[in-house]
Amino acid sequence: MGKPCIQDVSFHGHESSHVGKLCLQLNCNSDCIHVLRSMVAVMTARAGMDELRSNRVAIAVDELFANIAAHAYGGKAGRVELETSICNASEHGRALLFDFRDFASVGWAGNLKEIADHIPDIENLTPGGLGLRLICKVSDHCEHEALADGNHWRLIFNINDGEKHAQNA
Amino acid sequence: MHKTLKFERDDQDETHVLLRVTGDVTIHSSTRLREQLKPLFTTKMQEVRVGLNHVDFMDSSGIATLVEGLQWSRLTGGRFVLSGLSDNVKDVFSLAKLDTVFDIEGGDTAA
Repeated sequence: MGKPCIQDVSFHGHESSHVGKLCLQLNCNSDCIHVLRSMVAVMTARAGMDELRSNRVAIAVDELFANIAAHAYGGKAGRVELETSICNASEHGRALLFDFRDFASVGWAGNLKEIADHIPDIENLTPGGLGLRLICKVSDHCEHEALADGNHWRLIFNINDGEKHAQNA
Repeated sequence: MHKTLKFERDDQDETHVLLRVTGDVTIHSSTRLREQLKPLFTTKMQEVRVGLNHVDFMDSSGIATLVEGLQWSRLTGGRFVLSGLSDNVKDVFSLAKLDTVFDIEGGDTAA
């Protein structure tokens, strides 16, 4: 694994910032993707991920947020809550988690496995449909739960397997 | 970290054009890339080249826009070339299994 993409800053006598979770509530109809990118940069650095892996996490988070904005809320304003943390004892081992919660009336009803396995038709390329495929490709697990008042998505990125991802590219 | 998208059009002659792109191509900026790209595809244009030397981040909306460019080039019969891709952008094309579909050159566009 290469050098982390950013260096965290610690202050003598203060608790390390390498603990805890980050939470964000935002309006998906705003140009706030750069805020998500900042969260990803902090968390992937805490996880010790290199720049390539950090970019992949950023892609997945960016794509999922865009997907919620475009499809769950249909391009209109809507509340999205995002929580990210590092879990040291998940069923997948040490992992970086991103939980997205929306409150849209539209429930997602696709099949993540079919999306992950889809191979693009080179002769008849279409501009759409790439986002969820990228999410499934770069995350170790992508889960969706339809709720009575919206959707819950969870992205899980295993930590300490950066080489595996690079080889599978 | 977040970089505003900027463009510079360089008409090398009447049939070859280079569009230099700088910044992040995301769902919020890819429509601007589309606006810049589409007018370049005319029947007299033999080659449209997009210089991505200064693009560090591109999501699926950016790739979708470039897929549209590929389709426009097939309609007009010209060549569509992407050059100067960063490792991060190359990685996204590879993940999407589109790295062999596009005409990608590693050379610098003197951007």
